[in-house]
Amino acid sequence: MADFPFEISPMFEGERVRKEGMFVELGGPKSLGLELVRAADMDAIVDDQVTIVGPDLKDMEEGKTYPWAMIFNIGGELVEADLESVVERRVHDFINYCQGIMHLNQRYDVWMRVSKDTAGKMDSFEPFGRAVMMLFKTELPFIEKMQVTFYTEQAEVEKQMTEAKEIFKARDARTKDLHDEDVDVFYGCTLCQSFAPTNVCVVSPDRVSLCGAINWFDGRAAAKVDPEGPQFEIAKGELLDAVTGEYTGVNDIAKKLSAGEFDKIKLHSFFDSPHTSCGCFEVVGFYIPEVDGIGWVNREYQGMSPNGIGFSTMAGQTGGGKQIVGFLGIGVNYFYSPKFIQADGGWNRVVWLPSILKEKIDETIPADIKDKIATENDATDIASLKAFLEAKNHPVVATWVAAEEEEEEEEEEEEVAVAASPMMMPAAGFQMPAMPMMSGGSGGGIKLTFKNAKITIDKMIISQKKEKK
Amino acid sequence: MTKVIAITGKGGTGKTAVAALMIRYLSKKGKFLLAVDADADTNLPETLGCENVKTVGDAKESLQVEIKKPRPDNPDMNKESILKSKVYEIIEEMPGYDLLVMGRPEGTGCYCYVNNLLRGIMDKLIVNYDIVVIDAEAGLEHFSRKILRDIDDLIVVTDASRRGFQTAERIRELVSELDSNVGRIHVIANKVTDANRQEIVKLAGDLKLNLIGVIPLDPKIEEMDIKGIPLFEIPDDSVAAVEIEKIVQKLGL
Ligand SMILES: Nc1ncnc2c1ncn2[C@@H]1O[C@H](COP(=O)(O)OP(=O)(O)O)[C@@H](O)[C@H]1O
Ligand code: SF4
Ligand SMILES: [Mg+2]
Repeated sequence: MADFPFEISPMFEGERVRKEGMFVELGGPKSLGLELVRAADMDAIVDDQVTIVGPDLKDMEEGKTYPWAMIFNIGGELVEADLESVVERRVHDFINYCQGIMHLNQRYDVWMRVSKDTAGKMDSFEPFGRAVMMLFKTELPFIEKMQVTFYTEQAEVEKQMTEAKEIFKARDARTKDLHDEDVDVFYGCTLCQSFAPTNVCVVSPDRVSLCGAINWFDGRAAAKVDPEGPQFEIAKGELLDAVTGEYTGVNDIAKKLSAGEFDKIKLHSFFDSPHTSCGCFEVVGFYIPEVDGIGWVNREYQGMSPNGIGFSTMAGQTGGGKQIVGFLGIGVNYFYSPKFIQADGGWNRVVWLPSILKEKIDETIPADIKDKIATENDATDIASLKAFLEAKNHPVVATWVAAEEEEEEEEEEEEVAVAASPMMMPAAGFQMPAMPMMSGGSGGGIKLTFKNAKITIDKMIISQKKEKK
Repeated sequence: MTKVIAITGKGGTGKTAVAALMIRYLSKKGKFLLAVDADADTNLPETLGCENVKTVGDAKESLQVEIKKPRPDNPDMNKESILKSKVYEIIEEMPGYDLLVMGRPEGTGCYCYVNNLLRGIMDKLIVNYDIVVIDAEAGLEHFSRKILRDIDDLIVVTDASRRGFQTAERIRELVSELDSNVGRIHVIANKVTDANRQEIVKLAGDLKLNLIGVIPLDPKIEEMDIKGIPLFEIPDDSVAAVEIEKIVQKLGL
């Protein structure tokens, strides 16, 4: 690193260049500041080239603020557009490793300062550009070639800004479209184990953390920077069940981090082996057995839910990092997940939301169910909830009907009962045979054992048999 | 190495006054200084002659709002660098020192993640300075939450009242429960008059408190207080300013 006029070290990461010690300010609250990383063809990149469009450092006036844009091009066999944002996140780190250069914020809000000391040691941004690219290529070896252009002219920066905003928009659309099946790793977080010792937060593209603060991308960034830190990688392992969201890797980590307290976490399940809940969740879901539906209440809602308890009471019961069947803490963003409690009926199981929450997440509630979900304005107790759901013909009502019929016609009831004998079936090309039907016999439920079986089911409704009064 | 000085004690004993006088003296001495107001009351900026400052609480809250948007525009935003720039933006650049105000206590909801980010940011910020002077409330909340970590010198300010001394004793116990490393604990007796000076020195000795300074009741401070003049502008020869100088020297700063 001998050929750079300033020192380079992670030590300078939090360096603050004060107004008094500042030569120039680039971008920031008073001007325009942009950074962008783009993948490019290897041939289109002149390795290590620094281009400066507009006044260079030596042409700048001390104490002034200039508009700033920096566009990095990266190339390499493994470089692809999806890596742009991963690389871009490190711009902040690597620029800050340069002594006397302060970098803050990101994307179109970049704010930089160059200290008098460092400006005194060079008259161009050229060595700075080379230093940053050297850091990139050392720390992220998949980058084989890199070049950068710095823009310091208002009109040019504005132009770059407009183009970049379109690129960010397209990139965001892609990120929003990322799902559990598209990635190999999820992330875990144990920040809250200090007060909920068995809590294990698992964050996947389709499941934001229950505190709402950490999504899959945050997990990825944090785990890269500090693999020993509170956020870490979880290799997904084998997919055990796509509907419930069960993975061997997640189960392993659940077992380990809960010290054996539980051995499974199904990411998109409400009833069976649900995600643990520490007290941090933004919203808590609660099962209402009387209507066989699920209600949700958010932290901001001050009132009562139809079961007569409010958020804080439920939070008290549900927190502590346990799997509490019948309650589930989530982040608001999880309502937007296409896999939202899909193991247990998804939106068709949702019967009640406080009106403030319902308004907040309006756009994600499927249109055909929206009017059928009650709020505190429609139902404040079980009886009024039941009446509302019935009047609106909410999907859960069908299960009541089934249950009632079952009660009435108990004599002729057709019950599915498969003998407990293990069924040996070839794994490939297996077609589910029609289940043998047996009438009569009110015997103790069903037991199905499949071994080596691969089963594909489009839709399955399992409803609980109601006890006779 | 950065030296971290935290000033605490019962409300009204003169913590903010002591902090302001120290900041005044140290910044004049040419030390690179960060002043932190870690009291939710936020009196320090006013005492230093600085108005309408934004706070870390505001910065945290605005990040929280961004994070808690049900559908973030950019799910891949770098929350750490955003919070860091919010914090760096609100640092007030005063002549000779920087001022950071922690501000309001947090709202409801989970701040685990944001606080964890803030910890990292504060750790890196602090090493920029020769000395950090923190005006802290008696509960030492930011320390128990580990937003601020280690303290080289903890100074407990007490007035001549028995309750002030009791608070000093309680803080000494509290410190042993903190995860922070606290180097030394000192006591400053403030607003002392000739009538009670001897008794105070004796009380401190009985309680085995390490009395590092005795600041007299200063008519100049009272006068400035009534006129609404920031204490930062106190003349060098006022009794309190002279005593602070001695204390700073004893601390080896
Ligand atoms: N040595 C002193 N002589 C006279 N007045 C003082 C002295 N120290 C503090 N005061 C006054 O006492 C009041 C409380 O002081 P302050 O520093 O705000 O206390 P705290 O920060 O501990 O709540 C203020 O009005 C201040 O001007
Ligand atoms: S609630 Fe949030 S901060 Fe706490 S462990 Fe889970 S993800 Fe981490
Ligand atoms: Mg005060």
